[in-house]
Amino acid sequence: MSEEKVVAVIMVGGPTKGTRFRPLSFNTPKPLIPLAGQPMIHHPISACKKISNLAQIFLIGFYEEREFALYVSSISSELKIPVRYLKEDKPHGSAGALYYFRDRIMEEKPSHVFLLNCDVCCSFPLQDILDAHRRYGGVGTMLVIKVSAEAASQFGELIADPDTKELLHYTEKPETFVSDLINCGVYVFTSDIFKAIEGVYEQMRETSSNYQISNHFLSATRSVPADFVRLDQDILSPLAGKKQLYTYENKDFWEQIKTPGKSLKCSELYLSQFHQTSPHLLASGDSTNKKPMIVGDVYIHPSVKIHPTAKIGPNVSISANVRVGPGVRLISCIILDDVEIKDNAVVINAIIGWKSSIGRWSRVQASGDYNERLGISILGEAVTVEDEVAVVGSIVLQNKTLNVSVQDDIIL
Amino acid sequence: MPKPLVDFGNKPMILHQIEALKDAGVTEVVLAINHQQPEVMLNFVKEYEKKLDIKITFSQETEPLGTAGPLALARDKLVDESGKPFFVLNSDVICEYPLLEMIEFHKIHGAEASIMVTKVDDPSEYGVVVMEETTSRVESFVEKPLHYVGNKINAGIYLLNPSVLDRIELRRTSIEKEIFPKIASEKKLYAMLLPGFWMDIGQPKDYITGQRLYLDSLRKKSLQELVTGDHIVGNVLVDESVVIGEGCLIGPDVVIGPGCVIGSGVRLFGCTVMRGVRIKEHACISNSIVGWDSTVGRWARVFNRTVLGKDVHVADAEVYSSGTVI
Repeated sequence: MSEEKVVAVIMVGGPTKGTRFRPLSFNTPKPLIPLAGQPMIHHPISACKKISNLAQIFLIGFYEEREFALYVSSISSELKIPVRYLKEDKPHGSAGALYYFRDRIMEEKPSHVFLLNCDVCCSFPLQDILDAHRRYGGVGTMLVIKVSAEAASQFGELIADPDTKELLHYTEKPETFVSDLINCGVYVFTSDIFKAIEGVYEQMRETSSNYQISNHFLSATRSVPADFVRLDQDILSPLAGKKQLYTYENKDFWEQIKTPGKSLKCSELYLSQFHQTSPHLLASGDSTNKKPMIVGDVYIHPSVKIHPTAKIGPNVSISANVRVGPGVRLISCIILDDVEIKDNAVVINAIIGWKSSIGRWSRVQASGDYNERLGISILGEAVTVEDEVAVVGSIVLQNKTLNVSVQDDIIL
Repeated sequence: MPKPLVDFGNKPMILHQIEALKDAGVTEVVLAINHQQPEVMLNFVKEYEKKLDIKITFSQETEPLGTAGPLALARDKLVDESGKPFFVLNSDVICEYPLLEMIEFHKIHGAEASIMVTKVDDPSEYGVVVMEETTSRVESFVEKPLHYVGNKINAGIYLLNPSVLDRIELRRTSIEKEIFPKIASEKKLYAMLLPGFWMDIGQPKDYITGQRLYLDSLRKKSLQELVTGDHIVGNVLVDESVVIGEGCLIGPDVVIGPGCVIGSGVRLFGCTVMRGVRIKEHACISNSIVGWDSTVGRWARVFNRTVLGKDVHVADAEVYSSGTVI
């Protein structure tokens, strides 16, 4: 009996995706922007590590290779598992990309392939999904979750058989209510999935050759390129109800990380998850022994220096080399590398970009409503907020110095 | 709390005027008040009559009498056998009160009435006094002029001969619109240019500007009243009962009233902190007025001409900008 190997594929997108993460995404690809002290992509990758017999992890996207080179080599040596970045020459869609790189993905002849989206925030119960998948015996199993009826219409809605858990019906962003079960963007497949994708390609070629005469007319009306195959609409939908696809219901949290405001919420979810997975990462302190007062879930990188009179938390992540002065108050925020926060400053519901400087008695804050456009204040890289200046509900682009207070504004 | 009793520079507004009058040799002050709130004023009067050794009486109107009518009402108190002139002051005005100089000025021209005028940048908001340059005689008054006629306005300080009272009927009368123009046309009204600063502090935003000017003049005239220290910048007035924590930065242009407690790491500038206020650690207050007995929470921010009324509590880390909170 040979050891069954498993590989994981994580879709990371490209520069045309993640534009809502500006100004932070101007110098860092969205998947590498930190949440709860680690790059966004680190969370699904660590979850993959927990799968037994995991042989390889592939990151697929259309960012330049050099943007991921450093991260990929350091995470490979840290996890002791090969992690590779595969660059698409152009977007193929999730299923198309899987098919395009099938030779690399199948190189160790894995029995199963996981497919995850990088901008999903959840507990990733991957081993449980794999065990369930083996029981069902289909070609694929997807993670699903129940949401409110109003929220459901923004996602892919699906109907599953309550006993067999088979996927019976699937539609993407339907106009009328279909179901309150939605697609989480986490799947496991057997290697037969590639045959299924090939089948779809053949069908697409047939359809286009049948209309050869009016080919130019046809391509003008197609909204996607000829070899773009989406996983949900083109693969899952046709296979539903044919005893090929099954569902596994997610009992924990799930969010999509589409905006910086959401990333603050997801940071909070991951920080609270640390209690079970990695409690040593959570900070503690009560303003004695030269340590600051810590409230709630807080992550602080070991290189950070914080004055004992500061009060930090809840829901704060502080990255490397940050310096926090006396009397500072931080609530619900992400502080990126090399930031300096001076005496008595206040940061609430904000993301402070790398190398920024927050002056004495100054303030960066926002309402915290991540559905609002300016519900989270964001400072880009190397922004200086001078002493006593307040930045309320605003986004400030990189390298800007603010010497007057701003409110509800986007500062270029 | 009646406006004249509101503190300015840690002294009730009206006390600034009474002290200035005492320094000019005045022995009796008549407070012309309307029908509201006589008790609070009564207590004030008792306290200061003794302290300053000056007689303070009331003249209370039962119906609105405008800006001149109250003078007729108080006639008996204002006039005695000596026939000496009497001062009339507007209680919303703060300035350096050069009253002795005004008495000299009045003697020299020997006419019926003198008024103080002050130069302003935007005269179109006020009543402009048009004067003859060499003699300082007033020619006319123009209310809110559309075209430039002059840049001197009525500063609200008058020195009047008793004969002026004969011109005022006991009814609602305006001194600027009815009485002075008449006296001016008889060539018996003269105007003195007020040296130093002047501010009508009826409005909160003008209060803060006036405070800055007042502290500036304190620096020149009685420097010892201002505080100094490592944590003090510029002109700062602090009552001796105030407790200030470590690591604060106070000033410029700050006044802190009696019984206040300022926590550590607090930043104050361009603001007034009234009596009994508690400001907790790390808060930042600028260009604002914090009313009596209010509390400002830790890491809170009060700025941009906010006025907190009496007994308002600002929670920790809240932001208050540009508004009035009661």
